[in-house]
Amino acid sequence: MKTLVIVLVVVVVLALLIVSIYNRLVRLNVNVNEAFAQIEVQLKRRSDLIPNLVETVKGYAAHEKDTFEKVVAARAKATAASGVAEVAAADGMVTQALRGLLAVAEGYPDLKASTNFLALQEELSTTENKVSFARQYYNDNVRALNAAVKTIPTSFFAGMAKVTTREFYEVEDPQSRQAPTVKF
Amino acid sequence: MAGVSFRASQSANKRKTFLLLASMGALVWLVVYAALTYFGKSTTAIVPIAVGIALISVWGSYYTSDSIVLRMTGARAIQQSDNPNLFNLIQEVTIASGLPMPKVAIVQDSAPNAFATGRNPEHAVIAFTTGILDVMDRDQLQGVVAHEMSHIGNRDTLVAAVAATTAGAIAMLSDILTRMMWFGGGRRDNRDNNSNPLALVVSLIVLILAPIAALLLKSAISRRREALADATAVAFTRNPAGLRSALEVLAADTTVVRQRSTAVAHIWIESPLDAKSVSRLFATHPPIEERIAALRAMESLGPAT
Repeated sequence: MKTLVIVLVVVVVLALLIVSIYNRLVRLNVNVNEAFAQIEVQLKRRSDLIPNLVETVKGYAAHEKDTFEKVVAARAKATAASGVAEVAAADGMVTQALRGLLAVAEGYPDLKASTNFLALQEELSTTENKVSFARQYYNDNVRALNAAVKTIPTSFFAGMAKVTTREFYEVEDPQSRQAPTVKF
Repeated sequence: MAGVSFRASQSANKRKTFLLLASMGALVWLVVYAALTYFGKSTTAIVPIAVGIALISVWGSYYTSDSIVLRMTGARAIQQSDNPNLFNLIQEVTIASGLPMPKVAIVQDSAPNAFATGRNPEHAVIAFTTGILDVMDRDQLQGVVAHEMSHIGNRDTLVAAVAATTAGAIAMLSDILTRMMWFGGGRRDNRDNNSNPLALVVSLIVLILAPIAALLLKSAISRRREALADATAVAFTRNPAGLRSALEVLAADTTVVRQRSTAVAHIWIESPLDAKSVSRLFATHPPIEERIAALRAMESLGPAT
């Protein structure tokens, strides 16, 4: 009788433990999905800002065709991208192209002073921040998931929960690697 | 790796909060033990009564903290259209933290300050004085928003409520028991008491000093939560410089929020009480220089990825 009770208690405790581990893994996986969706939402927001921004800059600096084309091309590519690596690569290109566009804007005091551009600039900097925080939040969640999938005891149940390690969101940013070159 | 420092600071402050809350529990136990030693078993009933009253009085204000504090500070809720830039900043931090969007409020006051409250992230409110919105630039304000959102994410309203309940219960217990001594009740009627004079003197001292000790612990917990919120803010923004320069602005500023009710002093980002009027041990915030130094230490490790 006594052994039966002990066995029952052990079985129940084990079952609860397994359920909680299983749920934790599933939850971590869902968090990663949600975090990635957030990146896409913010990227979409940024995409939507681009036509307006390009038009505004064009009004003052119509001959900077190269820069505009780069931005538009990067945007088109980003719209078509899917999957973490592809989205991240396209994201990096847009970020770079936008930087180029803002650098061009620096050279036109009239443009910089225009109310339209000032309003756009705040929109753009908050969107840029939101994109980068969304990336950071995604990577934090991937880190938590990957740690759980690779460490004992959660690793034993990763297969059962159909959860695997996920890819980090890495944006190619040449600016962080090479010193900025200044051209006059 | 710049990530090490704020993570280390976060876990150190969490550990210290736990130890302080445990000491608070130990203090309750000590008071009850002293009461039993001094008055005998007849006092047992007082303990649940004191804890119950403290629970009821604090629970109400904890549960409705979002609306109560707004009323006490005179804060007015605003919509996105009233200040889109501020909402942008807050949305940025909600994305970084994964927390839901809080309600936003403004306090008409030229002294720069801010606070957050609410029983859980779904019922959170974050408030700014008009002063802080005027003097701070984007990065500084982002640091402040991140600090306040950290309070929400770390559930500091709950921690403060638990601390206040325990301190309140201890104060009430000690109050009731000292009154009982005054009126000479209890003790003489119980022949089964401990009659060791040393034990009696020690219990008396415990009963008298307990409320002060509880207050000290409560303040220490509040200071730990402030330091934790600074570290968590850096975890959100990965930009210690923003919050650091915001704190420098607050340190340089000598104006003080007008309604300085001590009841809500602990919720502001900078203590609204004069530094001199509260001694260091009873302060609800760590000295601002100490907080700036801690953030500087995080910065020296370079920008995080």
